[in-house]
Amino acid sequence: MESLPVLLGLAVLAPLASFFVILLLGPSLGHGGKSAAYVAIGAIVLAGLLSFISLGIWLANHWPEAPHDDHHAAASEHAGDAHEGESQNAKSAHDSHASEGVAGDSHAASHHGSTPPKVSGEYYVLAKIGDLQLSISYYIDSLTIAMFCMVTLIASCIHVYATGYMHDELHDITDHEAHTADGEHVHRPGRFHRFFQYLSLFCFSMLGLVLAGNVLMVFVFWELVGICSYFLIGFYIERKSATNAANKAFIVNRVGDFGMIIGLMAIWSSLGTFAFDELFEAVRPGPSHVLQTPDGMVYASAQDRVRDIARELGPDATPDQLETAIQERATTENWRNVGPDGKAPGYGYWLLIVAGVGIFCGCVGKSAQFPLHVWLPDAMEGPTPVSALVHSATMVAAGVYLAARFYPFFAPEVLFVIAIVGAITLFMAATIAITATDIKRVLAYSTISQLGYMMLAIGMGGWLAGVMHLVTHAFFKSLLFLCSGSVIHAVHTNEMPEMGGLIKKMPWTAYTMLIGCLAIAGAGIPFVIGLSGYYSKDAILEQGHLFMTTNPGWGAVFFWAAAGGAAITAFYMFRMWYMTFLGKPRNHHRYDHAHESPWSMVAPLVILAVFAVGVAWPIPFSSLRLSTLLEQARPAGGLNDMQGVLVNMVWPNEHDSHAASHVIPATLIAFGTALSGILLATMFYVWQPHLAGEVRQQFSPIHRFLVNKWWFDELYDWIFVKPTHVVSGVAARFDRNWIDWIVDGSAKVTRRFAYGWEWLADRVVVDGFVNVFAGWMYSLGLATRRVQRGNLREYVLFILVGALVLFVVISIFRVTYAGGS
Amino acid sequence: MNLTEYVNNVYHNTVDVSMPAFGPELVICATIVLMLAVRLFNWGRRVDVSYLAFAGAIVGFVLALYGPAERTEIFTGMLVYDKFTLFMRAFLLLFLILFVVLTKLSGIPDREDGPDIYSLVFGATLGMCLMSSANHLFMVFVAVEMASVPSYALAGLLKGRRQSSEAALKYAIYGAGAAGVMLYGISLVAGLLNTAHMPTIALELARRYAEFSSSQLMVLALASLMILVGLAFKLSAVPFHFWCPDVFEGAAAEVNAFLSVASKAAALALLLRVILGVGAVPPGVADEPVAVQTAPRQHLADGALYVMAQDPAVAAETSGRGREEAVAQLTPVRNYMGWLVAFVAAITCTFGNLAAYGQTNIKRLLAYSTIAHAGYMMMAAPPILTLVGLDSSRAHDAAAALALYIAIYLFMNLGAFAIVAFLRNSLRSEEIADYAGLVHRAPWVVICFSIILFSLVGLPPLAGFLGKFAVFAALADGYVVASQAGVSASHLLWLLVIGGVNTAISLFYYVRVVKVMTIDPEPESRTPFSVGVFPVAYVVLLTIPLVVLIFSWNFLNEWTLQAAAQLF
Amino acid sequence: MVPLVAQITVSHYLVVGAVLFVTGAVCMATKRNILGVLMGVELVLNGANVNFIAFGSPFLREHHLGLDGQLIAVFVIVLAAAEAAVALAIALNFYNNHTTIDVDRAEDLKG
Repeated sequence: MESLPVLLGLAVLAPLASFFVILLLGPSLGHGGKSAAYVAIGAIVLAGLLSFISLGIWLANHWPEAPHDDHHAAASEHAGDAHEGESQNAKSAHDSHASEGVAGDSHAASHHGSTPPKVSGEYYVLAKIGDLQLSISYYIDSLTIAMFCMVTLIASCIHVYATGYMHDELHDITDHEAHTADGEHVHRPGRFHRFFQYLSLFCFSMLGLVLAGNVLMVFVFWELVGICSYFLIGFYIERKSATNAANKAFIVNRVGDFGMIIGLMAIWSSLGTFAFDELFEAVRPGPSHVLQTPDGMVYASAQDRVRDIARELGPDATPDQLETAIQERATTENWRNVGPDGKAPGYGYWLLIVAGVGIFCGCVGKSAQFPLHVWLPDAMEGPTPVSALVHSATMVAAGVYLAARFYPFFAPEVLFVIAIVGAITLFMAATIAITATDIKRVLAYSTISQLGYMMLAIGMGGWLAGVMHLVTHAFFKSLLFLCSGSVIHAVHTNEMPEMGGLIKKMPWTAYTMLIGCLAIAGAGIPFVIGLSGYYSKDAILEQGHLFMTTNPGWGAVFFWAAAGGAAITAFYMFRMWYMTFLGKPRNHHRYDHAHESPWSMVAPLVILAVFAVGVAWPIPFSSLRLSTLLEQARPAGGLNDMQGVLVNMVWPNEHDSHAASHVIPATLIAFGTALSGILLATMFYVWQPHLAGEVRQQFSPIHRFLVNKWWFDELYDWIFVKPTHVVSGVAARFDRNWIDWIVDGSAKVTRRFAYGWEWLADRVVVDGFVNVFAGWMYSLGLATRRVQRGNLREYVLFILVGALVLFVVISIFRVTYAGGS
Repeated sequence: MNLTEYVNNVYHNTVDVSMPAFGPELVICATIVLMLAVRLFNWGRRVDVSYLAFAGAIVGFVLALYGPAERTEIFTGMLVYDKFTLFMRAFLLLFLILFVVLTKLSGIPDREDGPDIYSLVFGATLGMCLMSSANHLFMVFVAVEMASVPSYALAGLLKGRRQSSEAALKYAIYGAGAAGVMLYGISLVAGLLNTAHMPTIALELARRYAEFSSSQLMVLALASLMILVGLAFKLSAVPFHFWCPDVFEGAAAEVNAFLSVASKAAALALLLRVILGVGAVPPGVADEPVAVQTAPRQHLADGALYVMAQDPAVAAETSGRGREEAVAQLTPVRNYMGWLVAFVAAITCTFGNLAAYGQTNIKRLLAYSTIAHAGYMMMAAPPILTLVGLDSSRAHDAAAALALYIAIYLFMNLGAFAIVAFLRNSLRSEEIADYAGLVHRAPWVVICFSIILFSLVGLPPLAGFLGKFAVFAALADGYVVASQAGVSASHLLWLLVIGGVNTAISLFYYVRVVKVMTIDPEPESRTPFSVGVFPVAYVVLLTIPLVVLIFSWNFLNEWTLQAAAQLF
Repeated sequence: MVPLVAQITVSHYLVVGAVLFVTGAVCMATKRNILGVLMGVELVLNGANVNFIAFGSPFLREHHLGLDGQLIAVFVIVLAAAEAAVALAIALNFYNNHTTIDVDRAEDLKG
């Protein structure tokens, strides 16, 4: 296990090395930079190998246990009664369990209230200021390893895909979507190696983010992935649309980062550390790992009480005395739970909430949640491999990853906020996707919607469900994107109204995309087997159902939003598939030119399809499957029920969702919604194609609303962009008229003075002196030269004369200065 | 004392004491013999002698690195073998290695002339090694001659060129004259003090200085001045420098490198040996010098002072001198020498710098530069003399400063002349004006040459600054210590000022060369040429120490301090 | 004529040596013929030699240089011979290039 940090560290650095190699040697690597792709692929495949080796080592040390649905199903009956109360600690129910001596006793103990197996430590300490320490550290648990394997695997497939997709960049290109100043199409040399350079840098940033052991390091890599996304979206820099999209992505992300920085500041100032270990220990101290406000935050918030104590002790008190007094008072007066008004919540609770919401803001920006979702559809301007890798599988997942990683830190109120945001997002994005005509837009909104699902799951306490959906979504979404890229590569357009009937021309693409659509819809045989999306979506709905049972009000909203979203998802995915591949070709010119993609592009599709189908399946005859592997990473205390303090809701233990009372309804509803969505899509787009147009006309206001993406872009433009332009206009005018006047004026005065002074002091005095002196030296030198006349006899004479003269001189010296010879 | 015992003693001294210490010189001799012998055979004619020379130089260098812990006199007092000898020998042999490589790269010696040329070079080096360990006035003369005579022949190396033959002639005549004057001076000193062995001279002077009549003192002064003439000739100090510009202009650039580096370094070492041998009493000297004749049955201990006196009375009289007392008694001698050397150093560096202003030939310019640098290096001697009696450790520092300057000077001048040699091969010219715009054609060479020239000026952060700084620091130190002790040492202050001003005015002619090479436009009549990879690599290799030394020159400091510690 | 029958002391030798030295020096400095200059060199060296011998004689002074004087003189003779050989070779080379042995013709190198 000690080798894990080294292996994963190397896996992180391999793409970085590839980045530098391509950066320095890029154009000279192979013809037109072709070998840059091999370097990048080599690096990411190496990282992948290292990840899987790490997985092997992990499994050898921590083989996941069998899922204990039955065990906990029984327990949930018990716990159901206990949950009626408000205890934050449901350990009593489980303790009684343990005392029953049920098999799996030890693992019950190991789950309820012990930290998950992990390897954490520091690579390098950057700075140590007093007690505060900044370092490059790592935190490796099964979530890390699963993310590593997933990211490297998908990235490897996409790297290979990109060698085929970006083939055009190997030679000069005429870009039909970019124009020069005089209206011509831009003609430019290819940038093949540059693409892989950015891809490598991105892989490094993403893997580093996953490996990070403290939040600051996460933030650094957060920004890094942001900048890589900027580069990649704006890859076609000559296109105005692409550069605008890149700017939009970065700026919107920055807004989210603003919140994240506030969260970081809250954590830093009150707790003085960024390391995950220490944060989790502070907020969920062992052995019960129940969420409580950390001491640091309590004291930071209770400043008025602290001042009272200090005043009581007087000015002579030492810092130690003060500290002991504070601690005593905090315990006796129960600052943690009793606030200034004598009621809950206690001191520091709001700070905890602020910290959690702040960090979540970063996730909102990065994972394109409402209201910062506007950048993701525009990010489709980048090449399709970028969309597949960055904007579906990995970077946007980083937000969800951070939410999952930071889960122990979130107070129930924060989880509530997360759930609301997630629910809004998933619903909104799904509705917009119904009307989108650009194939990549559909997938983009689908991504936003699925991310909403993950956030909703986490917000409802379904940690495992959210993380599982993250992994499965990565596979099938990247598969879908790559397929769409394959289609775009074939017909040279993104617009679905121009496609149709392509299944005959591109069978491989079509069928792999079908697998992807089925996966995202959650298709499968209920209670028996299904594609990967089936398991993860079912998990979410199970948790939703449990939540609904526990909290009838909001829970119903969440559950039905999720279920409705599932139906809409199935609908628009199959709409997309039907429009693209079935029916009659709508543009014969494009149809004739369409062809199946080369093997470099199809092979990754197949590989990803295999994973999209089976990544959630168990390894036969063993307890190893995705859910059990990820379960190992569940944060300590993650299985406790949580009671909200400010909101009257209970977040149930996720294991209870495995009870039959939740599984059965959820599965049936999931199946039902998926089926209905698919049937509806089939009806609209296969059996009665004219219906689509009719519905559109009938509900045209709604349709317009959806087509214009709920008018978000216009809203933001009106609220933020236009006022900024007004203010900047004013500032620019002020600058130009007033400030420039001052600056230019003083510049003129200085210049005039400088001319005069230069003439007087420099040219007359200094130069004069120097030149005169130099002239003397020079003439002296030339005169000295003339001593050497070239006559040998003269030289010899000078020996004798010189000796004599020296003697005379030295005698004079001795006599006059030193007194006697 | 009978003949057998005498011969036994001498034999023991030679074989057991002296020969092991003489290793590098013996290797040089062997190499010379080998190089000449190889030509006796037919197959030998096809052997490239430069490899032999290279091997010999390397073996000699390796041998020169191991040395004694204490100062020993070898060859019955003719030579002294201490850490300073070690330093100088290592320096000279290192230079020899680099020189052989240079000649191989620049192609001066062809197969026919190779053995002759290398024999001459090795012979001169042998003489220089002797110069740096001379302990007897006669050895001074022999070593100077041994180093100079091959140099006369080397100056005339390019047999077919008029200027070369003229240079050789001037060098030979001038050198012979100066050596003759020096020998006459030696004869007068030896006669006056009845010994030519330098430590004995020191002790004698210490004992009898107060008793000398003024006419005797005048003779002593004149005679030592005449000895200085010979030393000044070797050092190309004004007014005995007249041979230097002409010889440098006429001889080949490689020979110039040899003359300006090795010859100067050995001359400075000899200067130190002479002024300290006569002006101070060396460490480890037995308070009771033992005369060879008066200790018939005694095995002469190594390190004992040899007094070739036939008269037991003299031996008895020179014994019993306490070392510190002797050193104190020698103060007037040191003062005299200090003023003399200071005066000569001042006019040397000034003259050298001024006369370089109007030069158009690069070799002549570098000749005057050599003269000026000899002036700077000589400036380190007066503070040593002042400090010997006052503060021994600071005097050692001053001597170490001189050694440091010499060490750095090796790279600067060798690099400069190497570049001149390679450019002569490519451009067929040695006029500065023909170097115009060279930076476009041979950028590496020009960069290295510029670095070397700036280092010669003494600009930080190049190594030349280190050398100058060390010498000036020694001057300042000497002045401060002397003033604190109440001794007048104004000549040190004057030297410091003159040295500083000279450094400033020397900037002009060095930078003019840089300017011509970099800024002046290329002449249209220039034909394409190239300087080969190996010459450029050689030059770069020589320039690297100049740039890197500023970062860590402590090791050099340590070596030179160790070398200087046993001088006096 | 007292000086003629005065005891020969070391001073007499020294005077001879001095005369030789000065003669040689003047010769070196004034002769235009290279061979003449070389003769001057020899004279100078021999003047010094006379000095050495005189100083080394045990018969002329009580405290003397000893055997050193004579040994040095012998070595100097050898050295002078070697130097003369080289100088003659150089003179020959000079003649080959300039077809004259007039020292004043060696004026190409100056300044």
